Amino acid sequence: MSQIAEATLMDGRKIQYVIKDNPPRGGMKYTYFAPDKSYVVQFFNNPEVTNDPNLRKRIEAIIGKYNPTLSEASGGAKGNTEGMAKYFSSKFCWPTAIVTQPEFGIVCPAYPSNYFFPENATIIPELSKDLKGKDKKSNWFTSGKLRRFLNPNELGDFRSMLQMSISLARSIRRMHQAGLAHSDLSCNNVLVDPTTGSCVVIDIDSLVVPGVYPPEVIGTGGYIAPEVLETLPLPFGDPQRKLPCASTDLHSMAVLIYEYLLLRHPLRGPKSYSEDPNLDDFLCMGPKALFIEDPKDQSNRPRGLEVTIKDLGPELEKLFIRAFVDGLHNPNERPTALEWEKALVKTWDLLHPCENPNCGAKWFVLHDPSNPVCPFCGHRAKKENIVRLHLKSQVRGRQGQWIPAGEINVYHNMPLFRWHLFSNCFPDEKADRSMLAYVVKYQGQWLLVNHDVRGMTSPGGSLVPTGQAVLLKDGAVFRASTEDKGLLIEVTSGR
Amino acid sequence: MADFTRRLPVYLLLDCSGSMMGEPIEAVRQGVKALLSELRGDPQALETAYLSVITFDSQARQIIPLTELMSFKEPEINAGGATALGGALNVLIDCVNSEVRKSTETQKGDWRPLVFILTDGSPTDVETFREAAQRIKGMKAANIIACAAGSNANTSYLKEITESVLMMNTLSAGDMAQFFAWVSGSIKMSSKTLDAKPGAPIELPPPPQGFVVVP
Repeated sequence: MSQIAEATLMDGRKIQYVIKDNPPRGGMKYTYFAPDKSYVVQFFNNPEVTNDPNLRKRIEAIIGKYNPTLSEASGGAKGNTEGMAKYFSSKFCWPTAIVTQPEFGIVCPAYPSNYFFPENATIIPELSKDLKGKDKKSNWFTSGKLRRFLNPNELGDFRSMLQMSISLARSIRRMHQAGLAHSDLSCNNVLVDPTTGSCVVIDIDSLVVPGVYPPEVIGTGGYIAPEVLETLPLPFGDPQRKLPCASTDLHSMAVLIYEYLLLRHPLRGPKSYSEDPNLDDFLCMGPKALFIEDPKDQSNRPRGLEVTIKDLGPELEKLFIRAFVDGLHNPNERPTALEWEKALVKTWDLLHPCENPNCGAKWFVLHDPSNPVCPFCGHRAKKENIVRLHLKSQVRGRQGQWIPAGEINVYHNMPLFRWHLFSNCFPDEKADRSMLAYVVKYQGQWLLVNHDVRGMTSPGGSLVPTGQAVLLKDGAVFRASTEDKGLLIEVTSGR
Repeated sequence: MADFTRRLPVYLLLDCSGSMMGEPIEAVRQGVKALLSELRGDPQALETAYLSVITFDSQARQIIPLTELMSFKEPEINAGGATALGGALNVLIDCVNSEVRKSTETQKGDWRPLVFILTDGSPTDVETFREAAQRIKGMKAANIIACAAGSNANTSYLKEITESVLMMNTLSAGDMAQFFAWVSGSIKMSSKTLDAKPGAPIELPPPPQGFVVVP
């Protein structure tokens, strides 16, 4: 049974939505769709909470001056350009309006269709029917048990999971940069699409907004920061009680990234503290939480851990240790979202396609060229396919002095962007995403082809015009560009 | 690698007495079908929930042992006979004792089971019922929600089992569908919030419209 209803927005506009029995219901709200499904209207499970003036103030601020999906000129976040607003529109499902009639609620855009399961998403026909049209919550793709049911073409690969991680870190960095905190990041509130490596952060209405009394959310089991869980028995308002904030987001986010990359939960191990399941879980996720890969205390380490944080390269290994060892019970030690974003991007540049056609991960982080083994399937990469570019940037004001600026493992048909060739560019929402060069393996030789760079020179010093290539021979050194901020590239290969 | 996810055992105790014959029992069949489909579409439920069905008419029996959702085969449910609710509670106690895992050194124990009881009458095995209800209340090993369906259901008996008693006015297909939708909502919610609040009573979604929580 369904019928069309009309909602009045705060600015007086009227919009339609379809009332259905048993609407989808989350912990806080339930959802009705627009007749054309282009937006949703959400009301609160407990309408009394909407009498709280803080909730209304919070949502007004979220929709307006803190909105990264709206340009500053259109009433959105300060400093936000049209381009940045467009970029983040695909990363957040940000509320767009407040409903005042028939009762207080919010309007949000509908998620893009790639975040809903298509037909035949699983290998079991009746399960595919149950799943069709449901949103892609991340635990479908990170739980070993659930992955087994999914159609292999839904699962993505290690590279797409890393891409999702970058997207998540970037979105949270953007939020935190504005002083906002999500406060309930979890597998339910970040929808993912491993086939395209994208994710979208949803349930934006319970954000912590600067200067407004915080929302009374706790979070979702498994993603709540230990200190929040530990002080949960204290009354709301007690000064000792720890509430969700940016530093607790950093715990939840690290849990999600760990799950995306290693397909398991970082704190769920064999260690048990009580026969009572509720108490045991409280202790395991709260006061007694212990990283399953803690290097010093191995008491929670599951037997037979094959792929570990070491296999993700030194950048990510360091951050996971900070997040789940140093910072697990010490929120100030947790890496920031910006640190995650940077480390994940660096790790992205070290990806190597696994040469084993049956490898499920398809890609791995080749961080140690002297031991180029895929940790997922054990396949050893051929020496001739290991080509690494060592990027160097010029020390300002000192001609001829160069310092390391990053490393890239190349592969056939790898695109190179501005941030690979110039020192003053980082691949964030402001970056120019047009391809400037690419790498190909042609007749057994590795070539870096200039697609659209001015001032690229060969190891011999002659200009490499667009359409021409530099041979990536071991020991070769050349300028990606002789223009300002252009990097120097040193090649190691086949070693 | 071993799996350290706890199971959430769910027991459905379904009244299959003669008064359920016809539309009501058909609605129960459809309800179980819909429940299964709903739960399989929810990742947390599919990962953690295990389902068992205990039916009772003149006798009570476990027709489906505690089973993973993907292996769960819809049971054959038929109506006829008396209302051995007491017997059903005894079966429940035995099943919980034998099927629900306790924590050991090598294994995470199960969550406290969720039990949904649906009946349209009053127990015909009153003596057995009283005894079993006492045992169950004493056990505190499960979260039990009882639903009295239709005008002949007696809520005061159910109150002897649990504080959480719901009443739905009719045995119509619509009401029954709503009940099962609410059960699936409750299971989904429990599978998400289980570890969020130690020691606190479990939170369930508000009962469907037209249903009354019996004080």
